Amino acid sequence: MVSTVTPVPNSGSKHSTHAQGSSKPEGLSEKFRIPVFQVLLVLGILLTWELLVRSGVAPVYLYGQPSGIFEKGVALMREGELFIHIGTTAFEAIVGFAIGTTLGSAVGLALWLSDTVARILRPLIVAINGVPKIALAPLVIVWFGVDMGAKVAIAASLTFIVALISVYQGTQEVDQDLVKLMRSLGARPLTIWRKVIVPGATPWILATMRLNIGFAMIGAVVGEYISAKKGLGYFIYNAGALYDLNSVFVGIFCLMVLALVLDVVLLKVEARFKW
Amino acid sequence: MVNKNAQVVLEARQVSMSFNTGTASEVAVFQGVSFDLYEGEILAIVGPSGCGKSTLFNIIAGLLQPTSGSIYVDGERISGARGHVGYMLQKDLLLPWRSVLDNVTLGLEVRGVRPEQARERAMALIKSYGLAGFEKARPNALSGGMRQRVAFMRTLALDPKAILLDEPFSALDFQTRLVLQGDVRRIIRDRNKSAILVTHDIGEAVAMADRVLVLSHRPGTVKAIYDIDLGVAENDPIALRRSSRFNDHFDEIWNDLDIQVSSTA
Repeated sequence: MVSTVTPVPNSGSKHSTHAQGSSKPEGLSEKFRIPVFQVLLVLGILLTWELLVRSGVAPVYLYGQPSGIFEKGVALMREGELFIHIGTTAFEAIVGFAIGTTLGSAVGLALWLSDTVARILRPLIVAINGVPKIALAPLVIVWFGVDMGAKVAIAASLTFIVALISVYQGTQEVDQDLVKLMRSLGARPLTIWRKVIVPGATPWILATMRLNIGFAMIGAVVGEYISAKKGLGYFIYNAGALYDLNSVFVGIFCLMVLALVLDVVLLKVEARFKW
Repeated sequence: MVNKNAQVVLEARQVSMSFNTGTASEVAVFQGVSFDLYEGEILAIVGPSGCGKSTLFNIIAGLLQPTSGSIYVDGERISGARGHVGYMLQKDLLLPWRSVLDNVTLGLEVRGVRPEQARERAMALIKSYGLAGFEKARPNALSGGMRQRVAFMRTLALDPKAILLDEPFSALDFQTRLVLQGDVRRIIRDRNKSAILVTHDIGEAVAMADRVLVLSHRPGTVKAIYDIDLGVAENDPIALRRSSRFNDHFDEIWNDLDIQVSSTA
């Protein structure tokens, strides 16, 4: 569990997907080379895994089995049960993410307005950030119960603190000469904040969002580990307790796909804000 | 040449500044600096590094309070940043998320000018100074010279009486710098503005200014003020530098600056 985070917005990230490609002209075969290797790598791993289990070197109850995982996945999807788990976890993560990131960013931005308040709060924020925030999960369960609300609360509190710290740092990274220029124009602090600080810190907000979607998933899944009746965390935990490793892997792959989908959505959002 | 019968736009009276370094005694940056800025003139300030040129600008802009002395603009004493002077820095400080047009209107927005009116004024500036067609472009798409030109438009948009130029050309390549020096000089003349130019470049000071004020080593005091008369009517930076008197002024100021070449390294 990462306890200290300071995301740095990489202005290059928005076009990094084609940055390597655009620097040099390349043919069609060149364009497909990387994806081909990627597919081959995954297939190679799956094949080795399958062979090790089939030959009896690796016991299936400890490692699962690709063919078994596939069958299990298909069966679970037919039953529809899997979609309930995916939907639950996605809902908890997304709502928690939205609440935590919005409030955290807002507080981080607002702290720019008062250096005094920021300095008073600094040790407190540093201390909270230093605690592995998952350690707070039992508290949240006590306060919010074992329903989806509790998982939302865990995801929200995790993402809140990350957003607060990195967005506040973003406001501090805005060029001081810009602030000076605005002051020389006769601008009041609130005007400077609105016209320079908030837009200037936007890259940090976007960088935080991509980081936070991961934290929101951690929050939701860990919450489900602790106590839940549905959700991917519950599903994985339960299957693990029953040594049903194939189901555990089905759950993990679902989490991967969910994370990828959410990341793609955020990349699209980020691209819209590019200047 | 400065017209001493012109109105005084800005006045510095016995301005001193020292910083409290905390532990030891105070560090005096400059002492008893006085000068007048006449309407329509460009006054250049040169001096060795650390003589407090930037600090002086911060005081004139009202961003810093001097330890003693005062600044008057149009006879009124400055006690805070009110947008009474235009301020242009080495960095263009354009907002990357705004178009050229919206960058030019920034000061007008802060001043509370209605958006349509602000846009109209900005467009007039953009058109008359060679940036027409770029009003919708983002700063990232512009060259360094064009960006600094936009920064100058932004400064002009508020129609300030006095403009502070804090080494605005030093980040540009030589050719661009010459062109901009000529343009800025011409625009200031055309609009009958007054400007104070802080620069390290004596050639730039001589070519652009009507008078050059030399500050001494720290604590900075006014060592001398030179009247510059190149006998050239145009604003072309090359023609100005070709003037026979250019080198005389240059040498005079260079000697006065008292820079030991051997010991500066």
